[in-house]
Amino acid sequence: MAGFGSENILAGAALLAAAVMAWRVMASRAGRRADALPKTDIDPARAAPPSADALSRLIETLDLVPAAILVLDAGGRILHAGPGAWELFGDSLSAIIRHPAAQSVLLRLRDGDRGEVDMLLDVPVRRAVRGQFRRVRLAHGESVVLATLLDWSEQDAVERMRTDFVAYASHELRTPLAALMGFIETLRGPAADDPQAQQRFLGVMAAQAARMQRLLDRLLMLSRAQMSEHRKPRGQVDPAETIARVRDETAPLLAGGPATLHVDAPDGLPAFPGDADQIVQVLLNLIENAIKYGSGADDRAVRIGLRVRVTAPGEGGAARPGIAFTVTDNGPGIEARHLPRLTERFYRVEGTAARRTGTGLGLAIVKHIIDRHLGRLAIDSVVGRGTSFTVWFPLGDGLSSNRHETIMDTSRPQPADPG
Amino acid sequence: MPREHAHTVSSYEQELDRIRAMMARMGGIVENQMALAMAAIVDRDEGAAAGASECDPQVDALERDVEALAIRLLALRAPLAGDLREVVSALKITGDLERIGDCAASIARRSLRLDPADGRISLGGLRNMGRLVQENLRRAIDAMGQHDSERAVEVWQSDTVVDELYTAMFRELVTYMMEDPRTIRSCTHLLFIAKNLERIGDHATNIAERVYYAATGDLLPVVRPRGGAVV
Repeated sequence: MAGFGSENILAGAALLAAAVMAWRVMASRAGRRADALPKTDIDPARAAPPSADALSRLIETLDLVPAAILVLDAGGRILHAGPGAWELFGDSLSAIIRHPAAQSVLLRLRDGDRGEVDMLLDVPVRRAVRGQFRRVRLAHGESVVLATLLDWSEQDAVERMRTDFVAYASHELRTPLAALMGFIETLRGPAADDPQAQQRFLGVMAAQAARMQRLLDRLLMLSRAQMSEHRKPRGQVDPAETIARVRDETAPLLAGGPATLHVDAPDGLPAFPGDADQIVQVLLNLIENAIKYGSGADDRAVRIGLRVRVTAPGEGGAARPGIAFTVTDNGPGIEARHLPRLTERFYRVEGTAARRTGTGLGLAIVKHIIDRHLGRLAIDSVVGRGTSFTVWFPLGDGLSSNRHETIMDTSRPQPADPG
Repeated sequence: MPREHAHTVSSYEQELDRIRAMMARMGGIVENQMALAMAAIVDRDEGAAAGASECDPQVDALERDVEALAIRLLALRAPLAGDLREVVSALKITGDLERIGDCAASIARRSLRLDPADGRISLGGLRNMGRLVQENLRRAIDAMGQHDSERAVEVWQSDTVVDELYTAMFRELVTYMMEDPRTIRSCTHLLFIAKNLERIGDHATNIAERVYYAATGDLLPVVRPRGGAVV
């Protein structure tokens, strides 16, 4: 279905290109008739200007096609990336084109040839891309390659998730399930006539069942975060609104508990591109963690801070301006050796009070959401003093503004690369 | 190989472009090699392991070609300022890319010798470290292709995290080995793999430093800033 559609797009693009070139040839013939007597039009230097013209006309036309289309030179360099390609792949375009699978197809193409190749990119998020290439002759000795890119990531993600889910679910659900089965055995046998023990066991069973429930909820949340990871968020997030929602949703957790939440956010924070629900989710997970892990073994009152501020370019290693949400607690802190591994699935710091209640998935979900938003997560912790999680999101679309639409000079197509 | 063109200026520009295209291709191969090496460890994919080692001759050949072309360009065209810095940097960057390829191939070869039945050791830490290194490598190569000094600085700063992860992995693996000597064989392989990842991170940082120099003419400070763990 998708494959069929893409065939049509490429065929359509090639047809458009052919039409544009036919038009150009006619136009240039009319113009050249006067000085065509000496056969100088073979001179590549003289042929160059009209072909640049043809290229820009071709690009103009291709930009109207609603697909991810690139124009490459015959050596495989990107001359132009259409709006569809930017929308879908953004910063990954150069990584896709320099992929050896794409390069080996590109360098083998002769005029009129077509080729297709599947590629996998690992970072920043796993993406499966199918590239279709067609080399088109523009003028004497000058050819360009039209590339159509298709995003295969969703199918790939579904496939992987199915195997992941089975592995994780069976591994993590086994412990509470074993406990439940053990108690059921006991209730049927030794405790069959002991109402007091029955009540106690039923209590434990309810807790285990609740844990399984929580784990399943988290697994589903994780799979949703993973599914949407390679899709660029479309909405705008208003920080003030986000903070209000976080306050509302944490109120029941904080009510009557020893933990308190203190928000420190200036007025007039700028909105940034993102998925508002997911940003709230990130902050909720971080605050829930602070409540759970912050109080430590002695159950003392934990003071949770949420600070929001705009960061200048160059701050914290990010070249772009952004907005940073920092969640702090005055809990027991986390040893430095655990910090880099906290976002791994099911990684739990041993010996903490929350080891029994945590699913080990909260920060993994946070990480997936941050990756989707091209953001960053920084963790600072001092044992005995507390921990701070800073989530940073770029203001603007995450691509610097000077790198838009046309990556390279389109005025001159490159000659074929024999290497 | 390099062809002569009638027009000196455009031919000069074309030769520079050819160097750039070959460097990008080299970067792409090395990136893919690294991805295959990680798949070889994490997914126990033997095909990927073989694929990663097979890329080496291609990378070596490209390194030689870039070197020949760059020396030729220096000798015949005597480039100045930004162009000169770019060509000189290219010579160094290809060296780093080639070393990255070697490290990735070595990781892939070791993955074949890991005991598949040894499920006692979690590969989570290694996967995490690998991803970070892959991300840095990709950003370094992007920066190289786009002469983007800002991105180069980002790569340069984030290598600290890779070093921290390496230290953490080292400690973890030594603990495993002390607890159960039967894990020594696997842990030693994993230790070398972690070391290779850390080396790849260093080479990516070198590339970033070169890109920064080529783009701005300035050198980055010798000592990197240290900050919190960015994961």
